[in-house]
Amino acid sequence: MSGTDYSYDEQGQFFPVFILTIVGIVTIPLTYSVLKPSSDPGATAPRIKSDYKPEHGDLVDKQRKAQRRKDRKLKRAFTVVVGWSVMALMGYLIMVTAQTIPKIWNPYDILDISESATERQIKSHYKKLSLKFHPDKIRPDPAKNETMESLNSHFVELTKAYKALTDEEIRNNFIQFGHPDGKQSYSIGIALPKFIITDGNGKYVILVYAALLGVLLPYFVGSWWYGTQRMSKEKVLIESANNLFREYEEGITEGAIINALSTGVEFEKVLKGEKAESGLNKVESRILAEGAASTHAGGLAEKDVQKLEDLEGGVRRKALALLWAYLGRVDLDDAALDQAKLEVAPIAHALNGSFGAISLAFGATAPILSSYATAQNLMQAVPPGGSPLLQLPHITAKIARAIEGDSRTHLTLQEYMSLPEAYRRKLSIGPGLLTESEYETAVKVARQLPRLQVEKGFFKVTGEKYIIPSSLVSMVVKGRFIPPGSENVPAVNELDLEDIDPEEDDLDAILGRSKKPIKGEKKAADNKPVQPPLSFAPYFTKDYSPRWHVFLTDSKQGKVAVPPFTFTTVDKPIYDESGKPTFNMQTLKAQFQAPPQAGHYTFVLHVICDSYIGFDTKMEVTLVVDDASQAEEAVEDDISEPDEDSLAGQMHALKTGQPPPPKKKKVAAADDSSEEESGTDEEVVDTSDTNTDTSDEE
Amino acid sequence: MLGVNWWGLVLPFAYLIVLVGSLMTFSSMYRKRIAAKSANLAPWFPPHLQKNVYLSLLHLEPAEKSPAVPESILRAALLRRAVEDIRRIIEIRSAKQACSTLLQRGSVGDDLWQRFQRAEKEMEDELRDVVMEANALGPNWGQTIFQSANEIAAGTQFKTRLDEITSQTEEEKEWWEKRRASIQSEFMKEIENEAPESPAKKIGGSVTTDDDAVLVDSASNAGSIRKKKGKK
Repeated sequence: MSGTDYSYDEQGQFFPVFILTIVGIVTIPLTYSVLKPSSDPGATAPRIKSDYKPEHGDLVDKQRKAQRRKDRKLKRAFTVVVGWSVMALMGYLIMVTAQTIPKIWNPYDILDISESATERQIKSHYKKLSLKFHPDKIRPDPAKNETMESLNSHFVELTKAYKALTDEEIRNNFIQFGHPDGKQSYSIGIALPKFIITDGNGKYVILVYAALLGVLLPYFVGSWWYGTQRMSKEKVLIESANNLFREYEEGITEGAIINALSTGVEFEKVLKGEKAESGLNKVESRILAEGAASTHAGGLAEKDVQKLEDLEGGVRRKALALLWAYLGRVDLDDAALDQAKLEVAPIAHALNGSFGAISLAFGATAPILSSYATAQNLMQAVPPGGSPLLQLPHITAKIARAIEGDSRTHLTLQEYMSLPEAYRRKLSIGPGLLTESEYETAVKVARQLPRLQVEKGFFKVTGEKYIIPSSLVSMVVKGRFIPPGSENVPAVNELDLEDIDPEEDDLDAILGRSKKPIKGEKKAADNKPVQPPLSFAPYFTKDYSPRWHVFLTDSKQGKVAVPPFTFTTVDKPIYDESGKPTFNMQTLKAQFQAPPQAGHYTFVLHVICDSYIGFDTKMEVTLVVDDASQAEEAVEDDISEPDEDSLAGQMHALKTGQPPPPKKKKVAAADDSSEEESGTDEEVVDTSDTNTDTSDEE
Repeated sequence: MLGVNWWGLVLPFAYLIVLVGSLMTFSSMYRKRIAAKSANLAPWFPPHLQKNVYLSLLHLEPAEKSPAVPESILRAALLRRAVEDIRRIIEIRSAKQACSTLLQRGSVGDDLWQRFQRAEKEMEDELRDVVMEANALGPNWGQTIFQSANEIAAGTQFKTRLDEITSQTEEEKEWWEKRRASIQSEFMKEIENEAPESPAKKIGGSVTTDDDAVLVDSASNAGSIRKKKGKK
């Protein structure tokens, strides 16, 4: 193609389009990520209502605000704004330059005639024009900037246009190539403005190119790679995770976990420079002073004191001392120290998550339980072995001690709240104890806390009557949210405790997919998961949504049998509009593989809420695994064999290697049941095609 | 032929040199850093005190006046070294599976695994060394030294746990005395003034005594679990 010619984008008509596309590719997804509803629980979850402000409440609020600001993705929002303005600019450029593009050659426009004109009209019009514009007839008018040539070419244009509309050959040219002269030469445009390739600019272009490819790209890739390398799966620095692994011991106590958490490298960021040492003596003397309820104000046991004193000075020792000060709610009498005290808690909480994962990998029960207890302690600012009553507003260690008397065990919140009202009042209100209004505040909070009371825990295999070895067992935990001190709790409805299987042909439900609202079905809104209220933790500087961990342990071996399943939402509302508990029966379900041998397995079922102390449940459950052959016999007695052409029948054929015997005609024992069965049978046949399709896809 | 514009080629060549040069420097620096890092990894275990004691006893220069180290002391030192080795082996064995699963999941870092493997290798060498030393000190002692060391290690662990529990007796006793006294005085008070609010008090009293019953139970449970563990 000799006519090929590279033309650069002199008028700048393609370059803006190019930039617009590139910027759009980046900006539009980014806009979505900025505008999408935040996953932060603090934004959507309800809160426990209380006007209680703890000591240093202003500091807590300040840090919460700082945290929120950090979460606001300012950088991203800024980028989005810049992106959109660039796109708008480019859009404007496109609009402006589009007008300078030469128009498509249109003979009608040149002749200034309507497109509906007939051939005769065109001819007469052309004759008029040629009389007017023929170079022989017209004089160039210098005022209009006309020369002989321009007049000439104008007339040629007119003639061309006329011929395009009348002459057969030229008309064909026009139709095929868009021009009466026939094929025009190709021009290939490059969407680069001319200034890039003009002489003298080359070195700048190379400079920009080198900066992009040689500096920026490696920098971004490197920072991304090392960023992912630096963080562990639990979102703590990998070095901290390594340290925590080294600190793990079989019989680790909660105090020792606090000590282990202080190895976190994250603290170095908070306690930078001179902060690493300043005020350490003060903090230590405060936490080691005699406390109201324990030997030390920080709630340290003797061993923990020993460990603290064995440490060399520096960040770790200060972090540990601050942690104990936080747990013991020790007033440090210094704004900077108090601030640091509140800052270390969320860090320690994150580190504790990593420690929990590590102890889970070891599999011993005791450290896992200690880790969960530490999470609760950190959330509520209560030292290990501290009273659960400290979770209520206004209750200090001294008051908790006075309420509990000299008992060695602590009153849990639910025990405290189930004391007779008059007796509880007498215990709590008095000089040196709570005032009347403080007591009311405390009780009001207690009546709102979501305590999950487990009513029943059992195992089943969906759609089967017996649990056979290695089958996929569902662990079903049924419980109700009963805040401490609730009155008029209704009795458990036995029907609620049962777990009804979805219909056999309802594949969505069997596979745990979210159910689409089928026509004529009313409960579409009911299936939306309900968020529990944010943890009531006035000292913790982050919004946190409580989680429930359900797991099974083997008490004989002291090992975890089924690792924890974590639930952040529940299936039914916990409170009604007026804030009263609904006592709805909640279902927590988790699936795991049954043991490969038949037998009775006794497990301990733990249901632990990671935000409140003393709300844990521990109960014995037995998993009965029947022999496969035994279960089959029993099945044959009860239910008829599945039809050969149904899904269940095919599954059976796959399992046993032979098709099931043709279905026996069942004698109608009870009218309604037989009717129902025939109904479902038809449906099974109907849907069998689609069913097999879906199973093929998997 | 000589019309090549050499100046025009300076830029591309400079570019190539810079590119290749920077890549090479990066790779060599990176390798060096990795090597230095893995060489400087902190050892898994602290210094082996018992091993050091044994070695210094073994290589004690027989001074003119002091008598040579008696064999029984050497044996004891070696046995202590073996006990410490057993402790470390148990630690490594229990941590191995956890460490590898955590590494796969990305919960811990790669250098921890390297440290761990190095410790494992060191322990293997250490065991071989101990067996050889034992064989040198007594015929075929190498075959049994770790069995006895294992027994000793388990016994010591058990004993420390037991001591921990028995050390609490004094404290517990004291508390019970105090508690008894307070309950007694409360009852006396109650008898003295038959106040109308006594029913409420009684309920409260029953709650606290319930607690105490639970406490005794859990304490004995905890004790038995600990004992079981100790026996393992």
